[in-house]
Amino acid sequence: MTLEQRANPIKTVRQDGQTLLVAMEGEIDLNNSPVMHTTLSDLVARHRPSRVVLDVSRVPYMDSSAVAVLVEIMRRVGRGNVVLLSPQPRVRGLLEIARLDTIFRIAASEQEIR
Amino acid sequence: MGRSSPASPRRVEYRIASDPANIAPLRRMMEAFAAECGFDADACGEIGLCVNEAVANIIRHAYEGARDRPILLTAEFDPPALRISIRDWGNGVNPDELPEEQYNPAAPGGVGMLCLRLLMDKVVFMPQQPGMLLVMTRNLTERP
Repeated sequence: MTLEQRANPIKTVRQDGQTLLVAMEGEIDLNNSPVMHTTLSDLVARHRPSRVVLDVSRVPYMDSSAVAVLVEIMRRVGRGNVVLLSPQPRVRGLLEIARLDTIFRIAASEQEIR
Repeated sequence: MGRSSPASPRRVEYRIASDPANIAPLRRMMEAFAAECGFDADACGEIGLCVNEAVANIIRHAYEGARDRPILLTAEFDPPALRISIRDWGNGVNPDELPEEQYNPAAPGGVGMLCLRLLMDKVVFMPQQPGMLLVMTRNLTERP
């Protein structure tokens, strides 16, 4: 079995006022969720945003280790202040299992959250 | 849910090291195996997620992050049951014997076990000497 590279799923970061917009890409599991955790934690510590928008439209899959990172970021930024943008069906399914759709805002597009 | 029912049992076995980089390839192989057994795309994804979560739990908890310890996965399809057995030689902590905590979506943790309980029809932890054998069963039948 071929070991998969540990790619950082965080691809671009943009600040718009007090909002931090983070675009993510690729599958996220225990292989790369630690680097996602480190990067997001550093970004939140550095920018101190009042809202974080995570564009997960290019994330086809995530597991519970990624969900744990999202929850931790939510605890730092505040409940209701983390937006997940355009989750794909498998990701949305996990969010529903974990009942995260009750504590995160889920939006279909960037226009929807402006 | 898919309804095709192959006539004979099928079996696959994978031995991997407890490196997180092995999780995705193993998950995809199990999703492909479930598809061969007749499960539909949604069910294959759920089965793959459970394999992911079970193996990640072993790496994080039973092996405490060590990347070079053995994990043996055996999957057997005896219609309608797909039984996935995952053996580790770790610390033997039985999740069934841990104090039950009410799941809180606003606190990190607990999602992996929640997936196993919700997406599998049967989940059994069988202590070994040393380690643990987890047997998860998903039936090729309509789910509520």
